[in-house]
Amino acid sequence: MFNAIKFSIFTLILISMISSPLLAAKKGNGRKGKYLFRKNCRTCHIENGSAAVLSPNSKTQANWTKAFKKDVYSKLKCSAEWEKRKAKDLLDIYTYMHDHAFDSPSPAKCE
Amino acid sequence: MSERNESTLTRRSFIKWAGLSSAATVAGSGVNTPKLQASTTGSKKQKGSIQYAYSVCDMCMNKCGLIARVEDGIVKKLDPNPKFLKSRGMLCARGNAGIDRLYDPDRLKHPLLRVGKRGEGKWKQISWDEAYNLMAERFDKIAKKYTRCGVLFTPGSDMQSTFVHRFAEVFGSYNVTTHESNCLVSRNRAFLDTYGEVPFADLLNTNYVIMSGSNRFEALVTPDSTDLMTAKKRGCKIVVLDPRYTKTAALADEWFPIKPGTDMAFFLAVTHVIINENRFDAEYAKDKLFGLEELREHVQQYSPEWAEKECDISAKDIIRIARELSTAAPEAIIYPGRRSSDYTQSSQIRRSMAIVNALLGNWDRIGGLTATRQVGLSKPHLEEAPFYEDNPDDRVDVDRAPMMFEEEGSFKLIRDAVLEQKPYPVKGWFIYKFNPLQSAANRQKTIQMMAQMDFIVNVDITMSDTAYYSDLVLPSSSYLERTDPASGLQGSSACACVVTRDPVVKPLYESKPVFEILKTLSTKMDLGEYFDFTIEEYRKQQLKKLPNAEKILKEDGVYYNQSKLYGIYEGKIYKTKSKKIELMNTRYQEMGVDPMPVYHRPNMPKSNEFRIVVGRNAYFTHGSTSNYLHLNELMPENTLWMHPKSAAKLGIKEGDLVAVKSSVSEVELKVTFKFGIREDTVYMETGFGVLSKNLSTVQGKGACLVELLEDQSDALTGNMAMHETFVTVQRKGVV
Repeated sequence: MFNAIKFSIFTLILISMISSPLLAAKKGNGRKGKYLFRKNCRTCHIENGSAAVLSPNSKTQANWTKAFKKDVYSKLKCSAEWEKRKAKDLLDIYTYMHDHAFDSPSPAKCE
Repeated sequence: MSERNESTLTRRSFIKWAGLSSAATVAGSGVNTPKLQASTTGSKKQKGSIQYAYSVCDMCMNKCGLIARVEDGIVKKLDPNPKFLKSRGMLCARGNAGIDRLYDPDRLKHPLLRVGKRGEGKWKQISWDEAYNLMAERFDKIAKKYTRCGVLFTPGSDMQSTFVHRFAEVFGSYNVTTHESNCLVSRNRAFLDTYGEVPFADLLNTNYVIMSGSNRFEALVTPDSTDLMTAKKRGCKIVVLDPRYTKTAALADEWFPIKPGTDMAFFLAVTHVIINENRFDAEYAKDKLFGLEELREHVQQYSPEWAEKECDISAKDIIRIARELSTAAPEAIIYPGRRSSDYTQSSQIRRSMAIVNALLGNWDRIGGLTATRQVGLSKPHLEEAPFYEDNPDDRVDVDRAPMMFEEEGSFKLIRDAVLEQKPYPVKGWFIYKFNPLQSAANRQKTIQMMAQMDFIVNVDITMSDTAYYSDLVLPSSSYLERTDPASGLQGSSACACVVTRDPVVKPLYESKPVFEILKTLSTKMDLGEYFDFTIEEYRKQQLKKLPNAEKILKEDGVYYNQSKLYGIYEGKIYKTKSKKIELMNTRYQEMGVDPMPVYHRPNMPKSNEFRIVVGRNAYFTHGSTSNYLHLNELMPENTLWMHPKSAAKLGIKEGDLVAVKSSVSEVELKVTFKFGIREDTVYMETGFGVLSKNLSTVQGKGACLVELLEDQSDALTGNMAMHETFVTVQRKGVV
């Protein structure tokens, strides 16, 4: 029975890891993330754009971490855009947003 | 004991000089300003015609508003703009000496290419065309061999520096740093990590100020310097902690010649008293402060009796001051200061200062620390910069200090990285208005850093020491000859305003503003689309949300945003992890950094040594203005400040030439006796002992401070630590 429990726990952990790759300790390339964010996201998330104005300091670090979970972003209007991106790209963008968030050591306003 | 170098300038005469230059200090006070006309650029003038034009000063970073009087196309006088609240309608000695900058006979006139060795001073005049082609070719070569991060960019403090950042971004280098890590990065770090932003001080309305090392009556900051005087006249108490009897100490109510480097002990002991005697607002603390109980436990070890042994201030005085301070609270301030390039613990020292402020409950209210006010400028949307896939992942100084500001880094750590060629080589350098050979500790190391480079471009207005060691020196236009973008200024309780510049006179010689240089260079490097705008267009976009600003700037020389000053944080969270003001910083804890300042006794000089400290005065801006005639007249050379008792022990008489030796170098200069300096400390001004043979007024005078200074740095941020150097002093000729 213990083995069954161990196996279930292991499976659950494995599943959660697959569904939330960004919660792994791996760090992305924030500079590439800045470029990717501006190229792909900011085109809409800008003043007079089709979506809410967004820049890294629009959210706290904790909230960016939440936002980049698949079960959260898959519910967004632009989820299709997210699906287009490779996992590495999303990690890079997340790194940029997280590292320059509202409560980060280097808050940045993307203007 | 004579004050030889200051014999022509007593405090009274300096204030008188400044007073002659100041008009009414309040906007709209009824002073008649001559109707200001547009710049005289390009207009035909009759002989004997006088025109006036607005600008903002560039002789230091304050940017005080000014009115230039131009007669027959020559700027004859620079006067203050009476409508300029931030300067309280003042233009200081340096501001007046702006004419020296414009008409300096030593001024760079044409592009110069080095022939001969670096530092030999042999130059060949070339055309701008040749200069552009050379830059494009050489930077391209470095980019191909070493990636784009192989070029370092160092823009100085200037209203056009944003375009140097822009060029670096589109060129593709992550290696950009400014003078800030030779100055205030550690102060910014500490206050950011306590309050979530870097505060300003409402000195005008406060009732008790402790100035730790800060010297506002000489190291001028507007409106702080004038407001401190106004507050003093109103009865504000000023306490100065400084190993030197500066002019601020002289005008303070109390001066303590604190043992250098021990300020943290003092502030931790003050915290001890305030907490243990319950001299803080418990309701406020519960609501706004994070980590009070942890702090309470932490400071029990830091009693006033303990601190007395560390900082040379008696326990009795520490207790009294802590009580006076907390009684005056919340209109009481531990002044954050500005230049914090002193100790390897400088960030944590400022944390201890920020923590006392937090307990005083002075945040975001009158007479306390205030937040950034809204100015209202917009950032123009420029063409997105490309991404260069072959670039390394990050800056060359990455990971050398745990809490560097990402877009700032550390000059000292970059220099180390360049010398080590790790993690990758940096072989090119674009320098604008930045003079590390006079301002960054350990001059020889900077020279070695330059020796590592294949190609160094220097855009400056004079042949500074750093320009003298560069390869291609390009003549910059002065502030009186340029169109600049708009810039927002934070004037604490004076104002939040927008300033800009339009040319007062046409650029002299072949000088060009750095924007024009980079715009042209960008076209030569296939980057023209990223600089496809004029400054006028850029400025229009900046002002787009301020519809009257353009008109008002033309009429008044300044635009005010009457934005909120106090209570900005009402109902808002703080930009910290806990969303409150952090007495304890949990991010530090996670990173293995002390979450609350822990006192470590700094290294102390041996009995035959002196600590050499750094400071500023009202006539010079770091290493950059000592060659100007009217300012040099106030101090033709620097000397070593020494206590007469210390000098006597070494057989040194006033005026003697001495050899001052540190572990990295040795210099010679004369001695001035000062009773107002600790016996274990010496001091000298910055900006002398120049290497450049093209600074004719200051050539051969005095000695260079940074030649002597070891390059230590703040553990958290890599900020230069310039007060950790010990020197021996010997009379010349003594074996």
